[in-house]
Amino acid sequence: MDVRQTRGYEVISEWLSAKGLSPFQFQEEAWQHITNGESGLVNAPTGCGKTFSVFLGSLIEFINQHPGDYKKKSKQGLQLLWLTPLRALAKDIGRAMEAVIGELGMNWKIGIRNGDTEIAERQRQTRQMPEVLIITPESLHLLLAQKNYPEFFKTLKIIAVDEWHELLGSKRGVQVELAISRIVNGQWSMVNRKPLLWGISATIGNLEQAKEVLLSTLNFESEKKEGIIIKAEMRKRVEIESIFPDEIEKFPWAGHLGIKLVDKVIPIINNSKTTLIFINTRGMSEIWYQTLLSRAPELAGAIALHHGSIEHELRIWVEEALHAGKLKAVVCTASLDLGVDFRPVETVIQVGSPKGVARFLQRAGRSGHSPDAISKIYFLPTHSLELVEAAALKNAVDENIIESREPMLLCFDVLIQYVCTLAIAEGFRPDNILDEIRSTYCYREITKEEWDNILAHITIGGTALRQYDEFKKIEIDNGLYKIKNRRIAMRHRLQIGTIVSEAMLRAKFVSGGFIGMIEEWFVSRLEPGDVFTLAGRRLEFVMIKEMIVLVRKSNAKKSRVPSWQGGRMPLSANLGKKLRETLDKVRGSEASNVKRETENVERADVIPIAIGSETSNVKYDPGFKIPRLKFHDPNIELHVLRPLFELQEKLSHVPKANELLIEQIETDDGFHLFVYPFEGRLVHEAMAAILAYRISRIMPITFSFAMNDYGFELLSDKPIPVDDTNVYDLFSTENLFQDIQRSVNATEMAKRKFRDIAVIGGLVFQGYPGEQKKARHLQSSASLLFSVFSEYEPNNLLLRQAYTEVFAQQMEEARLRDMLHRVQQSNIIIRFPEQLTPFCFPIKVDSMREDLSSEKLEERVRRMQTQLESQ
Amino acid sequence: MQYPVPHIIQQNHFWLSSQRCIFWEEENALIVCDMHIGKTGHFRKSGIPVSQRVYTEDLQRLLSSILFFKVDKLIIVGDLSHSRSNRELDLFQRWRADFPSLKIHLIKGNHDILNERWYKECKITVHHDKLCIEDFCFCHDACVKEQKKGKYIFSGHMHPGVRIRGMAKQSLSFPCFYFTDTYCVLPAFSKFTGLALIKPEEKESVFAIVENDVMKVR
Repeated sequence: MDVRQTRGYEVISEWLSAKGLSPFQFQEEAWQHITNGESGLVNAPTGCGKTFSVFLGSLIEFINQHPGDYKKKSKQGLQLLWLTPLRALAKDIGRAMEAVIGELGMNWKIGIRNGDTEIAERQRQTRQMPEVLIITPESLHLLLAQKNYPEFFKTLKIIAVDEWHELLGSKRGVQVELAISRIVNGQWSMVNRKPLLWGISATIGNLEQAKEVLLSTLNFESEKKEGIIIKAEMRKRVEIESIFPDEIEKFPWAGHLGIKLVDKVIPIINNSKTTLIFINTRGMSEIWYQTLLSRAPELAGAIALHHGSIEHELRIWVEEALHAGKLKAVVCTASLDLGVDFRPVETVIQVGSPKGVARFLQRAGRSGHSPDAISKIYFLPTHSLELVEAAALKNAVDENIIESREPMLLCFDVLIQYVCTLAIAEGFRPDNILDEIRSTYCYREITKEEWDNILAHITIGGTALRQYDEFKKIEIDNGLYKIKNRRIAMRHRLQIGTIVSEAMLRAKFVSGGFIGMIEEWFVSRLEPGDVFTLAGRRLEFVMIKEMIVLVRKSNAKKSRVPSWQGGRMPLSANLGKKLRETLDKVRGSEASNVKRETENVERADVIPIAIGSETSNVKYDPGFKIPRLKFHDPNIELHVLRPLFELQEKLSHVPKANELLIEQIETDDGFHLFVYPFEGRLVHEAMAAILAYRISRIMPITFSFAMNDYGFELLSDKPIPVDDTNVYDLFSTENLFQDIQRSVNATEMAKRKFRDIAVIGGLVFQGYPGEQKKARHLQSSASLLFSVFSEYEPNNLLLRQAYTEVFAQQMEEARLRDMLHRVQQSNIIIRFPEQLTPFCFPIKVDSMREDLSSEKLEERVRRMQTQLESQ
Repeated sequence: MQYPVPHIIQQNHFWLSSQRCIFWEEENALIVCDMHIGKTGHFRKSGIPVSQRVYTEDLQRLLSSILFFKVDKLIIVGDLSHSRSNRELDLFQRWRADFPSLKIHLIKGNHDILNERWYKECKITVHHDKLCIEDFCFCHDACVKEQKKGKYIFSGHMHPGVRIRGMAKQSLSFPCFYFTDTYCVLPAFSKFTGLALIKPEEKESVFAIVENDVMKVR
């Protein structure tokens, strides 16, 4: 049936044209497929009506079902379930949907259900489900722990999963897969019907797979459906410009340059309506905010700070002020990566490496919203070498190379949590539920043995001393698996979710008003009277009372900045590859000096930068100004970095794309081995451990490691026996898996992974909110459990999962293997520089960081730089 | 088992065993602390499937240490049990019944909240704050009062651990015996316990338990 012939289409398009709008082609496509009863994926960037593609589709469908009385119909039960990863998004989406319903004169209710929803509202919803329910994955699982939950979904027509690219590849995505499998097949077993599934996703490298993951469960007990991918053809133009320091440091180090460029940011802010400044960590964003305020006091009141540890209400306020165009700039973290558009944003500044092409584009896309507008993004390096990344990013954007999100497989922790959730209200029967679980992409390869293991884990607690055991979790009642103990059920409900954060405490003014969250370990180092910064405010620590940090405002000049132990993203494989290729151009560009073709010259607009002269003895000439090259000269960063590369070449070597550079350097600290694969810090960490293990088989030797996204360091007190004769063997793929397992670090890494797994799998109980004390005798740390399991139950499923996660994600075994294959085919260049080189310097500084306070670090690095420059 | 390491305090010989206990030669006694029996059971009852082998192996280790040193006295410096009663404690009672002649002294710790009757049935002599023998005093949490009287204190509670740093910034943590000039803290006997890292001062002695060895760290 042609959707355009239907009553629903007529109603919707009349409503649109009354507003002077007409549907985009991809929206019409989506409506057509929904009318046809298809499922699939809508691939559209933020801010071009992707919500309406599915939402209006479900309205059209409803109107077509009830053409005469669609306006009057109310209490129809759930029609559209809208899953979103972000609580903050729910309100905006809800408001937009309500506006449509109101203008159409319909009687649908829009409900929101997440951690912020009041109990009364939740109860109203369970009595009478609204037609649309906007929900997070966690709240959806909580709904599955309610009595009669299958009834809620009986009438459901469409499940929409917003920002699917963001969920895919995380355990929250697995939660979504599981919940959908239950809802879809629950409806099937009740009324022999299945809802449609629609994902909404930004562009990622593996869209086809993203669709397959989402729709996997639809194929259970019915004919195979491929599903549709609808692409909104709206490629925005992106303009990338680097912000250059006045002087290129030849010995770069991370984390201090960025903030020194703040004066170059202020004119950008002034020249643009609203600017978003993306910072990679919450701690640095606090510092940036403070520095901006102190350098440009006139911005007070017009700039704001936004990150994940700031109190929810304050964040909402910032977001609303952004919408209203009241702010000149917002310093933010990934917390503003997603979500609805902020129209006033004209300019984006990325501080430090964005780590991946997709994220960079996503952030760039936060600016310039009208369809033909150009997204403008500035790249501000945190150390000079990072400028290479800007050049690499430009290439990647030109070639439209975007990262994939790999879906997670066989997450036993999430599965244990899920079956316990099902055991709370309705209970489950293992055989039925196993088939359903197998219909998901994540668990399609689960073996009977693994499943039996899980059942044993939750019913008899693995293996036990029979007569002395009182293990209790799930009990079996005539084949129905249920949690009967109310305390256990309550504890489980409190633990539902897969986002595990550090122990956090809320900060509150003595006079009232919450400000945000800080990590417990940071609080434990505070003395009353100490001043720290949170949410852009200076706060004096007063005391901790009932697990709340009480503070008051402070006017102190100096304050400490909390740091949060968030995961640090590694450089993506795509960007790493582009980086290596970009370095190739360095050699190419050596011959030619900076081009000054007339078409690139904008005389009116000059900035001073240092450039290299033909001689290797390069000095910065402050009086020398060159015309600014246009952004699309892809190599400008490389020109600017010439002094650094020349020094690197003089001391050691600048590797080509088909080369792997190894530097061996002796300093007072010991013997260093630096390797530069450009594969991101996680792969480097793994490679360092494997290399250390393999070298230690040549001779007994111990190492410490340090790494950044570009390379890694092995440091030892003995000379490191790596040379032309053995180096290819050391990087061999042979016995890779065994060597990973034997390298000490695998255990340490698995221990870290186990932290989250233990919480998700219900091994570590984090306490009741506000009454930590009651569960005191149940407290144990994940690392203790890890040791206990390792020693006494090495085959434990969750323990094994920790190792699997280490290999698959942490070490990115596939990527590691690719890297080693690449190395085998490339030239390994070993150099023995007399001193530290520009390439190794940032790694060296990073490894000093753990031992030194930041002031001391700064001081020592300065000294090292001076020494090195004079050599 | 590695041969224990002697440590002499006020002319008494204390042998530090890698099995997380001290043999006191002059009194022919074994000193342990923080056994936390019933902890695995407590966890299991709440749906957390920790292997009970930790517990049974703790008991076996205690048994072999008692046999090895042929002691007739066991001094438990607090936290014999972990929480309220559960069935795992029955196993301990059975274990106790195999050593009718062994005298057991328990100096109560913060976790020792069991019924008085239970201690009676197990033939354990309970001391509420401290137990003093000769020039030595045993109390769960190193209490300051006794130090003035010149008695050397043995305590537990802390679960001390020490971080050993190698060359090139490597480090590992181990349970340890911690001696100051007025008191000593024993490592927790149970392996189902975490570590509280200590920062020893000058002149204090620390012996780390590294697998089956006791190593003097400083």
